[in-house]
Amino acid sequence: MRLISLAALLGASTALAQPAAVPTQTAQGDVAVTIYNNDRALVEDKRLLDLPAGRSRQEFRDVSAQIQPETVTLNGRGIGIVEQNFDFDLLSPSALMQNAVGQTVTLVRVNPANGAEVRERAKILAANGGVVMQIGDRIEVLRDDGLPARVIFDGVPPSLRARPTLSVTLDADGGGRRPVTLTYLTPGLGWAADYVALFDEANGRMDVQGWITLTNNSGTPYINASTLLVAGSVGQSSNYGGGYGRYPSPPPPPPPPPGVIDRAGTETAGRERLGDFYLYPLPERTTIADKQTKQVSFLDVQNTPAARAYEFRNGWLSTADQPLSANTVLRFSSSRNQGLGDALPAGTVRVYQRDARGNPQFVGEHRIGHTPMGSDISLATGQAFDVKVRPVVEERTRLSGDRWRTRMRYTLTNAGPKPVTVDLVQAGLWGDTRITDQSMKSDRTSADETRWRVPVPANGEATVTATFDSRY
Amino acid sequence: MRALILLAALALPGQAYAQAIVNSPGPGRVSVTVYRDPNRGLSSLNLGWLGGYALVSEKRRVQLPQGESELRFVGVTSGIVPQSAIVTGLGEAVLEKNRDARLLSPGALLDASLGERLHLRRTSKATGAVREQDAIVRATSDGVVVQTPDGVEALRCTGLPETLLADRVPADLSAKPTLSVRIRSPHPIEREVTLSYLTNNFDWQADYVAELSEAGDRISLFGWLTMANGDSTGLENAQTQAVAGKLNRQRVRVDPGEAKPISIQCWPQGSTSDIPEESEFIMVTGSRIAAYDIAPRAPPPPPPPPAAPERGGGDDIVAQEERLGDVRLYRVPIQVTVAAKSQKQIALMRQPAVKVESVLRLRPHDFGYGADVKRVLVSRNRTTEGLGLALPAGKVALFGRAGDRRILLGEGRIDDYTIGEKVEIPVSTSTGVLAQHLQVGQGETYHHELKLTNDLNQPRVVEVELPLSARASNGKLIKRDGWMLWRVTVPANGRAELSYRL
Repeated sequence: MRLISLAALLGASTALAQPAAVPTQTAQGDVAVTIYNNDRALVEDKRLLDLPAGRSRQEFRDVSAQIQPETVTLNGRGIGIVEQNFDFDLLSPSALMQNAVGQTVTLVRVNPANGAEVRERAKILAANGGVVMQIGDRIEVLRDDGLPARVIFDGVPPSLRARPTLSVTLDADGGGRRPVTLTYLTPGLGWAADYVALFDEANGRMDVQGWITLTNNSGTPYINASTLLVAGSVGQSSNYGGGYGRYPSPPPPPPPPPGVIDRAGTETAGRERLGDFYLYPLPERTTIADKQTKQVSFLDVQNTPAARAYEFRNGWLSTADQPLSANTVLRFSSSRNQGLGDALPAGTVRVYQRDARGNPQFVGEHRIGHTPMGSDISLATGQAFDVKVRPVVEERTRLSGDRWRTRMRYTLTNAGPKPVTVDLVQAGLWGDTRITDQSMKSDRTSADETRWRVPVPANGEATVTATFDSRY
Repeated sequence: MRALILLAALALPGQAYAQAIVNSPGPGRVSVTVYRDPNRGLSSLNLGWLGGYALVSEKRRVQLPQGESELRFVGVTSGIVPQSAIVTGLGEAVLEKNRDARLLSPGALLDASLGERLHLRRTSKATGAVREQDAIVRATSDGVVVQTPDGVEALRCTGLPETLLADRVPADLSAKPTLSVRIRSPHPIEREVTLSYLTNNFDWQADYVAELSEAGDRISLFGWLTMANGDSTGLENAQTQAVAGKLNRQRVRVDPGEAKPISIQCWPQGSTSDIPEESEFIMVTGSRIAAYDIAPRAPPPPPPPPAAPERGGGDDIVAQEERLGDVRLYRVPIQVTVAAKSQKQIALMRQPAVKVESVLRLRPHDFGYGADVKRVLVSRNRTTEGLGLALPAGKVALFGRAGDRRILLGEGRIDDYTIGEKVEIPVSTSTGVLAQHLQVGQGETYHHELKLTNDLNQPRVVEVELPLSARASNGKLIKRDGWMLWRVTVPANGRAELSYRL
């Protein structure tokens, strides 16, 4: 192991002396990978090629197994591209036999009784369903008698390859070694953020660590790659129509659930940017192995303010059979002054709280979308065991042809030792529903919804009644 | 080729690859908190497919050398959600966390040897003589092609026993998905680190055993905490907790690890005596870990234990309840072993005398409720009723006594009930009181008729819940919780009738 670092320090000539010490043989050169959120990456691979003057065919091994060949570009000083091929005529016993039709192979028959071998030359006449061949002046079907027989081909046809291979025919202005840059897009690489939030409910504080999680399912390792993560999804043309669907594009990620960002922020985070996108470069070069999930820390904030809140949403003027748990919501901010002080790339926030013995326990998780700095965030992490709401239709009468009067009663109970405030939302109001009477004031947050902020005492209950005048 | 190797070497910054691998063979102390399947609802545990999860927290003592090293955590569960892994105790030294899912399998071994020299071994069936020769693997994707000094051949298309042998295992293949951290430290480290992670394939529920008193107005309620581990890794002497409550979970895809089989495929092998169905595709070897871990079907969950442990001997070990944020945590007071592919039960509570009222209930217009008369035990979760503690969701088995013999009266399920709530346990369908629901008349005279019959020699109280718009012509309806309630006592061996309009 020491040899290789020494070799690298001393440079080219000594490195050549120790090729066996390279632990992973790869044809990759200086690799830079830019990964987007939507299962897409841009790979830039700077290789040194030994080119003869004039035209030559170069094969590029160790590119992504899912390379999109139509996106390949190759750049280098003094070289022109004649043509570029992506060959997926794979070497297999069957392809080998098909290629041998009309040619001669060696047949070794093995006597099952004494193991004696007999060698013959055989000309393959056809390989359709079975192999028909000519030995001397006889025509025979290969292994028709079921006896063992080895077929030895003289060589591998040059057009057959072990793996799909990208090859480029180049026209170089002179011979010698020169750097070329190969660039392509590939699916199979993606990333998301993962946040660990340790919530201290008693003090209204929380510690947050952010991790970048990148995954490689592209079928190829990227050795010692300089890695940049882009928080955003670049447009991807759909594969309908022209695509041959060799690698179907993955479905787009689901939109973030509504109501996570209460108020989008307007602050600019102190991160590198490119256009709209925030950029997260990994601090060091790293090897991204195939089938690997890699995590690198990018955020560590202590003691940011956070608060617990409760929400209950009744989707329609309806009765619940039994009291239903209110959602328990964690509220915090990503602002510079009173929050995390950073933009948050899309990912999953896992919330932990300490139990009576001080051990962190998991208390729920929620996905967030790309969240600008300065946003107010509400994460529904679960349902409260002790805070429940029971909506009941008390009365429903028809006023006229299509107007109805509905009297609702909401019973909010709290079995916990601390008073709580529940955001009680009645949805399904359809624009022209009026509230004619209510036991406490509500906010009409939208045409469809109205909201009460109901304080519920510790180990107690509260009741809200309201009468709605609605169509239907 | 020379140029490429040179380039690879040039691209290496001095420190890359020069790292020691340190294996941490297993946890020292371990703590596990089991969470229920948030989507299971009230259906019972399926040991073959557990949808819950667990938080595993392990303490491990590690020794790391100066400089760069890779610390591999061996013995984590196979259902680990790698994104959730947290390593504490190493501070700034951690460069990155990795989870590698390229597994050592026959196919991966051959794939990794592509273009390299292996040994081809042939054994003569006649004499038993073994012959080995070098062979370079030329193709592995659609059948195996090797190059020997004789020429190019296809593996196992000859009818001879033959196989490929390798000298060593490629360095980046492992038996199980491996979680590791890359560390750089200016001095050697020896300390205790904590690894905690979420893992799938665990679940738990409460199982209640209730026995009805002779008078029928009390039950003795015993609760089991039933937890199940569907993972292939057991947790030894673990501090064990369970969390009751509904927590939000995101769907995550965890790569189970890739274990490719060798695919052997030959050229067309038809003969003059073919039977058409003969397949020319042979799978030489299956994978131990397929894309989905199809465990052998676990035995069905055992019926709830017929009897709660009798009092008298030593004291039971009972899980202790505490509040954790907005959910409840049950702590098993002793260390227990949560074995792989197993179910474990620990006492959750014992309430010897819970006041209940046995009610028959019918909702003739509620589509989901069915047309049967349900028997429901009703109580309130208060100390005055003999309860007054959180009741996590689970299954209830109700027993009664006929002389000396215990008999099962019914089975039902309850959702989470907190303190102070009205508790309703549906236990069975009534067979003594039956209901008949008729729609009679046309136009002006159209109305509903409900007939209840009782073949018992005791009167029974039935609660019929009708929609808010119901108006009865021969009975009293009162409004309760959004329903019009007809509460009627059906006399012994008698009947009761209601006619109403909607």
